[in-house]
Parts: sequence; structure tokens; C-alpha cells
Amino acid sequence: MTSAFDEFKRGVCDEMPLQIGIFPFGLVYGVLGVESGMSVLETCLLSVILFGGASQIVFTQLLASTTPAGVILATVSTVNLRHLLYGLSIGAYLRSLPLRWRILLAYLLTDEAYAMSIARFRGMPASPFMHYHLLGTGSLLFIVWQLSTISGAFLGTAVPESLQLGFAVPLSFIAVLAPVIKRRAEIIAAFSAGATALLLHDMAWNLWLICAAIVGILSGWAFSTFEKTPLMENSK
Amino acid sequence: MSLFVLICLCGFFTYLTRFLPLTGWLPAQMPNWFERAMYFVPIAVLTPIIVHSVFITPDSGITLADNTRLPAAILAVLVALLTRSVIITLIGGFACLWAISYFGL
Repeated sequence: MTSAFDEFKRGVCDEMPLQIGIFPFGLVYGVLGVESGMSVLETCLLSVILFGGASQIVFTQLLASTTPAGVILATVSTVNLRHLLYGLSIGAYLRSLPLRWRILLAYLLTDEAYAMSIARFRGMPASPFMHYHLLGTGSLLFIVWQLSTISGAFLGTAVPESLQLGFAVPLSFIAVLAPVIKRRAEIIAAFSAGATALLLHDMAWNLWLICAAIVGILSGWAFSTFEKTPLMENSK
Repeated sequence: MSLFVLICLCGFFTYLTRFLPLTGWLPAQMPNWFERAMYFVPIAVLTPIIVHSVFITPDSGITLADNTRLPAAILAVLVALLTRSVIITLIGGFACLWAISYFGL
């Protein structure tokens, strides 16, 4: 049987390779946060309170182009709705834990921690201490995310605008999406969401993003239901 | 609404999406249509952000001519497909963007 420390250490080690991608992403978020008009403190607070990379980038992009608070809230919440599925799938292994553990682990349940810990829960023999694995993946991610945010936020004002560092956002999203968009339903979802974003880019209150997201979700959903496309485990 | 309140509200709703499934109050399995819809969330959210950052220039709208970001983005798609690496995609994309903007390649 594995001990609590074994599990924690394994979690940290499993999560380590992902940090090569996390650190620059957090750095970019920090820079963009300050550029969008937030103070260094507010930029870091968002990382602590929200703790979700893609949704924080969405937040800064909408904030930078003066968007009503309600639209930012709705868009960020839509982006994060997918956590419900992570929680339910990993919840089978966590639901019997004491409440204080679930309160803590829920906070640490991000895309990357989920991916590594669900692989351990499913792939290796169960242990009474296996929730320490999620504590390990989540804690490492938390520390690296906060450090990279702080570095980026302090760097923010020093980075010359001619470097166009904000371009890291579409680039890193391209890196995430390009290998995933393969089947017709995925192509249709991407194309309809992208086209809607262009058509509606002038829309008041920056509603283009949430409208494009809804169009993309609906068309992907409708087409895959119609075609009975099986869902794969690659959704992040 | 102050920025701080907005940050807290976003954090609160995000935390709920993470905590609720661990309470046992939700059904253990979401309906199939919901899982299917959620599967498309990353594609439906990230693609518009990519398209918007590449094609839209503040003040002048959709930009195709003299758009230095477009060739860099196309190169990045190819690099991402070939290597599946975030870092190499970032390096390739920025190398192309800077080469075009500074040297007019």
C-alpha cells in the first residue's frame, strides 16, 4: 500500500513536465493582466481567486476592451462550466472524503491536475491515501501558476509593446486545439464559432465571444448528435 | 461593480463548478446531451479568441492585407500539428511574427 507521502510525491512528479507549458502561460497572463488595466495586486488576486488559465485570459481580454461586468461574469462562467464534468468523473474517488478535504481539492481541480490525477486513480491500484496525489498535482500547479503570474505582472510594464507578447494567447490556444480538431463535428464547431466571432466582432459589450461560443457549442452538439459521433477523452 | 467584486464573483461561480460535483447533490452522471455539449466548450471558446486576435485589428476591424499575425498563425497551426508541443509552437509563431515585423520578410 502506498503512503500519503508516496502519493503526494507521485502527484508532484506526474505534474512536473506540464510546468514547461504552464510557466510561460502564467507569465503571459501576468503581462496581459497589467496591460488590461488591472494593478499588480488585482492581477495576482485573480490568479488566486479564479485559478483557471484560459478563463483568466478571457477575463483580461474582455476587461481590456471595456466590457460590462455582467458579460465578463457570464463568459468566464461559461468557459468554466466544463469543470462540472471533471468533478463528476473524479468525484467517484473523492466523495467519501471529509468535507474539509473536498473543499480544498475542489479548489485545486484544474484541467491539468485533473488530467494527471484521474490517470492515477483509474490506472493504478486504489489506496486510502490516493487523494494526496491530487493534492500533489494541484499544489505544484498552484505554486507555479502564482509565481509565473507575479513574475509576469511585475514584468508587464517593462515589456515593450513592439514585441506583441499578447500573440502568445492565440499561439498557445492553437497548440492546444490544432491536434484536437480532427473529426467533422469538431471542425464544424470550430468553423462556426470562428466565423461568428468575425461576423459579430463589432457587437456592443463584447458579446461576440459568448455568442460565438454558444454557436460553436450548439453546432458541434447538433452535428455530433445527428451523426452520433462518439465522444473522446481528449476534452480539456 | 468594482473590479474586486467582479473578481470575487467570477471566482465564486468557478469554485461552485468545481465543488458542487464533490457534494453528491448532483446526479453521478450528467445527461448525455450535457456531456456532449461540454465536449465542444474548449473548441467553441478558444477558436473565437484565436480568430479574433489574428484577424481583428483595433480601430480598423477585419484585417487581411499587411496582417503580420496571419502567416505566423498559419505556421503555428502547422507546427502544432507536427510537434504537438506548446513551446515549439510558441517559438515558431513568434519567430515568424518578429521576422516579418522587424525585417519585413
